[in-house]
Amino acid sequence: MNYFVIGYYALLIGASCTAAHFQSRKAFLLLFSLTLVSFIVGIVGGESALWTITVFAGVIALCVGTSFAFREFLVIVGWGEFSKAMKTAPLTASFGLFIIGTYAIAGVFSPIIAPYGEAEIITSAFAPADENLLLGADQLGRDMFSRLVYGARNTVGLALVATILAFLMGAIGGLVAATTGGWLDQFMGRVVDVIMSVPSLIFALLLLSIFGTGVTVLIIVIAIIYSPRVFRLTRAVAGNVVVMDFIEAARLRGEGMWYLVRREILPNSTAPLIAEFGLEFCFVFLLVAGLSFLGLGIQPPTADWGSMVRENATLISFGEITPLFPAGAIALLTVAVNFVVDWMLFRSSGLKG
Amino acid sequence: MGGVLTIVLKRLGLGLFTLFIISVLIFGAVELLPGDIAEAVLGQGATKENVQAMREALGLDKAAPVRYFEWLAGAVTGNFGVSLISQSPVTEVIAPRFANTLFLASYAAVIAVPIAILLGVVVALFRDTLFDRVANVLTLTSISSPEFFLGYVLILYLGVKTGMFPSIATLNDNMTFLELLHRTFLPALTMVLVVVAHMMRMTRASIIALLASPYIEMARLKGTPGWKVIVKHALPNAWAPIINVVALNLAYLITGVVLVEVVFVYPGIGQLLVDAVTKRDFPVVQACCLIFAATFILLNLAADVGAILTNPRLRHPK
Repeated sequence: MNYFVIGYYALLIGASCTAAHFQSRKAFLLLFSLTLVSFIVGIVGGESALWTITVFAGVIALCVGTSFAFREFLVIVGWGEFSKAMKTAPLTASFGLFIIGTYAIAGVFSPIIAPYGEAEIITSAFAPADENLLLGADQLGRDMFSRLVYGARNTVGLALVATILAFLMGAIGGLVAATTGGWLDQFMGRVVDVIMSVPSLIFALLLLSIFGTGVTVLIIVIAIIYSPRVFRLTRAVAGNVVVMDFIEAARLRGEGMWYLVRREILPNSTAPLIAEFGLEFCFVFLLVAGLSFLGLGIQPPTADWGSMVRENATLISFGEITPLFPAGAIALLTVAVNFVVDWMLFRSSGLKG
Repeated sequence: MGGVLTIVLKRLGLGLFTLFIISVLIFGAVELLPGDIAEAVLGQGATKENVQAMREALGLDKAAPVRYFEWLAGAVTGNFGVSLISQSPVTEVIAPRFANTLFLASYAAVIAVPIAILLGVVVALFRDTLFDRVANVLTLTSISSPEFFLGYVLILYLGVKTGMFPSIATLNDNMTFLELLHRTFLPALTMVLVVVAHMMRMTRASIIALLASPYIEMARLKGTPGWKVIVKHALPNAWAPIINVVALNLAYLITGVVLVEVVFVYPGIGQLLVDAVTKRDFPVVQACCLIFAATFILLNLAADVGAILTNPRLRHPK
């Protein structure tokens, strides 16, 4: 028994009692079950296990605090609709927005943020972290932190371009199919069925083995593989909206096609489309990361998270967590986007029902 | 029952047709190569005689449709040609590795399916509580993480730091079954984490959609006990979506295995495919892609047929 263990339990039990006193049921249950779990874990794993719990709890508390503050910030800074929406947003959504914002800043300003160039060899291979190298060096002696920051530009940028291309192809195809109908609609539907019946990773591997690995090829291949999802959604959404009474009314008023798409169809299909864009981005991003991890994505020396994991994977067997940073960066962004998408989907379904 | 049989047969026919189209696609994709296979593999430094010799060896002088049907006939009888790199028959290379992959996938499925369905039902019953929210965040995190992230985290904490499980899943012939299970536990666990998350969310969604329907409300109002509502009223209608969920996730397992195999250096078909893609060994790539696509389509087909067979409305037509 030392001061840390005594303080740890005193704090937990004290906090549980306070929660119970103020009749806060959820907080009490959470704190007290944490105390009970700590008893068991503490007996099995000793003091170090308690430290792990403390660090975890601290990280979670930090995330919750950041999300809460960021939500308040957005409510105050935001305008009109957005500010109103943020007031009711769950904490996970504002956490997602915060992470996405951070990545965007890292991607846009990477040359300013990164202390070294992405391909610059500055020290010996696998040099440990010190005050100059925040996360140590990689297998060639390049700064891990700088490469992570540049990766935000390269990996996320590529995924974003591929998603936008897939979205444009799918959305235009879907709108054309919904408005023309007939054999063209049928034909496009069947093509989409075939593409979707092959697993995307396998399809990507097949196409990349033929066309080789280059950034342009990669973007086009991924766009082709993921446009069918958008196609189906756009076709369904547009098909549903087109038959509504208010479209009929607008037609009778004598409005043109462009007005219908811009002022009637799009505002009524933005929520599912934005949510789909987010989801699509996650799929594309994970596929890009997976391909890079397999050595078939962005080629070195360009900094890219997937290949960084692959190149530094040997460190894992020495108990180093370095390869987990790029992998974690991928996971964190996908989780963040998913949180926001979840909120969007909930909002769009809530508005409908 | 006649109606059901026709629906099932139609679905089977459609599945076979899709498979045929995909085989054309896989074969045709290689035809898209600039030049042909011989030029692509031998590179620019090759002499004309070398390229010509390889063309003859591969039978490239015949027209593409003829070669396609030869390839397809071979594939149906289990002959996928000869590997360009190792010169050994593709089937011999693939067969043991495909067995390994199936073993890993079924290992993961045996663990994942019961856990996922049980947890999905529990989460659906406790929906909108703190437990549900935490489960939601956890499953979302697990789905969003790339497989290699989960894999390396497991290797670091369960493999290297505590030494409970081996972090590299190499196999040899004289291993007992228990050793095999122990050796392949980490790759299986990685896939279990992803698949359980997917299945839990889908099961939860389908059960919640069911519990909101009027006949459940009716059963509750007439005083049926809670468990009976679930077992007698909800479950018969929930089988279709649940079978669907299981089959879709098994299909995912078969393909999601590629990244996991590379992380754990597991001798499966996914790793073989990645190697073949890097070396541009086209017969192997084609065979692997066809096997993956066929498994994927078969499982999707099984999902559809299962949904039809368990649908009470289709089994007892009016």
